[in-house]
Amino acid sequence: MAANLSPAQLPSAAVNPADLESGSSLWRDAWHRLAKNKLAVFGGVTLLVLAAICIVGPWFSAYGYEEQNLNNTFAPPGAEHWLGTDQLGRDLLVRLMVGGRISIMVGLIATSVALTIGVIYGAVAGFFGGKTDSIMMRIVDIMYALPFTIFVILLMVFFGRHIWLLFFAIGAVEWLTMARIVRGQIMSIKKMEFIEAARSLGLGRRRIIFRHMIPNILGPIIVYTTLTIPAIMLLEAFLSFLGLGVQPPMSSWGTLIKDGAEKMEEYPWLLLFPGTIFSLTLFSLNFLGDGLRDALDVRAAKD
Amino acid sequence: MFRFIARRLLETIPVLLVIITATFFMIRFVPGGPFTAEKAVTPEILRNLEAHYGLDQPLHRQYFNYLGDLLRGDLGPSFKYANRTVNEIIFDKLPVSLELGAWSLLVALCLGLPLGTIAAIKRNSFLDYLCSGFGMVGICIPTFVMGPLLALLFGIHLQWVNVSGWYGPADRILPALTLGFVYAAYVARLTRGGMLEVLNQDYIRTARSKGASELRVIFKHALRGGLLPVVSFLGPAIAGILTGSFVIETIFQIPGLGREFVQSAFNRDYTLVLGTVILYATLIIFLNLVVDVVQVWLNPKLKFE
Repeated sequence: MAANLSPAQLPSAAVNPADLESGSSLWRDAWHRLAKNKLAVFGGVTLLVLAAICIVGPWFSAYGYEEQNLNNTFAPPGAEHWLGTDQLGRDLLVRLMVGGRISIMVGLIATSVALTIGVIYGAVAGFFGGKTDSIMMRIVDIMYALPFTIFVILLMVFFGRHIWLLFFAIGAVEWLTMARIVRGQIMSIKKMEFIEAARSLGLGRRRIIFRHMIPNILGPIIVYTTLTIPAIMLLEAFLSFLGLGVQPPMSSWGTLIKDGAEKMEEYPWLLLFPGTIFSLTLFSLNFLGDGLRDALDVRAAKD
Repeated sequence: MFRFIARRLLETIPVLLVIITATFFMIRFVPGGPFTAEKAVTPEILRNLEAHYGLDQPLHRQYFNYLGDLLRGDLGPSFKYANRTVNEIIFDKLPVSLELGAWSLLVALCLGLPLGTIAAIKRNSFLDYLCSGFGMVGICIPTFVMGPLLALLFGIHLQWVNVSGWYGPADRILPALTLGFVYAAYVARLTRGGMLEVLNQDYIRTARSKGASELRVIFKHALRGGLLPVVSFLGPAIAGILTGSFVIETIFQIPGLGREFVQSAFNRDYTLVLGTVILYATLIIFLNLVVDVVQVWLNPKLKFE
């Protein structure tokens, strides 16, 4: 993405002239600022480690995620089962890792759906302005006020709780804020010289939007994306907790927490491990998102 | 202002109509009816049941009948609970959910506003980091982790309150804390940001230079402007608290409308699902309108447009 950005294309407000002379790009600057932010680095490293464990871990596990052992139910954490076992004697560690894969998938797929809808919608509204914009944004305002969680719940109950449906349903409700942010950014660069130059070259609208405008507002888009991922993972876990998301014997962090909460009185580790890992992931994502926001100096995505 | 409110109310009508229509037809095009779960229903009884509830009529007739009843405030009979109407069930369960929501909102504001204000005043001090840390904890520990943890600590280990149920005043504490905590965190964050912005403004410096006490500066001058981000957050917060109570009601076994809604969706209790969706949508849209009005009232720079 950095390759698309020649210095001349950058919005002047975001670039320090001194940086241009020394040849340092906005992105490299941001990277340096990010690397200095300890919390953000901690978040990023934690996420990488957790993701690596979840993706690779199950292959090295001695147990399968649905492998039951009724002679060894509710085993406390120990040498054989590092994190203990559940009511069917299934290994909690491997279930936690498999659940992590689901969370990663939700985070990637649902976020891409939300990102695609939000960016295109916001860019179109911001680019055309006028009546088109006011109607499109009024629709967003109205949709903000709707109880969307309820619709996701209905969708999941009625149409078979399929995991792909889950991804798309979540993505389809989380695009609103992205659309607002992108619209605002597009409006603010619409009148800049390089866009006028592109127009005067006779470029088509689509080309101007996708090749010239969107690459220039990547900063806010990236920042807001990192802040959307935790919201989306939270929604998946919320649905799974209600029994509407991922179905057994598949595991997800939401279902593990739900099962753990039911047994917490006697077997608290069943709640504590999934709860801790999930919260740790959310912490890391938020730290990383906040760090990126500071590093890229994005104000629009602040709240 | 009245024109603004009137226009917004008029706008509400098509929105609600779209919601009602979409939900109505979505439910009907789903495999499985409300009576498929009941075992050993002969075709004859099934026909009688469907005739009794008007399910044998053409779909568009059912739709217009429903709209007609709705205009008269009748949400129809429940398909699952024999001899009970949706109105009765809602009147029964809604007060519980509303009470839970009100307590949670109170927790959110009573915790969030002071913490955010303190953090802003004592910017970059230890107190600030403590308050901001609280904000992060609240945002990153979801209700369905926080709820069981609080129940484990205060209900099971310390035995101060009951783990579940909705009887005495003490039963309100844990659910309200759990649900309110998340929003307290957001409120604290937004208050801090808003206050920081306001505290740098000229009119605050003027107030200070005129010798107003620090307390007066904060409460009389700064808070009004600093709270604007919080007020605009209240709309989404109310919607979140209302739907968030689904989980809280499940964890703490509270007989509220949220749990009833999830259950009714599982039961394919068409009328109860529809009634609840309509109710929640109306409630959320109306509360958003109230929030918008309060926002303009607080900030003379905004206008009713």
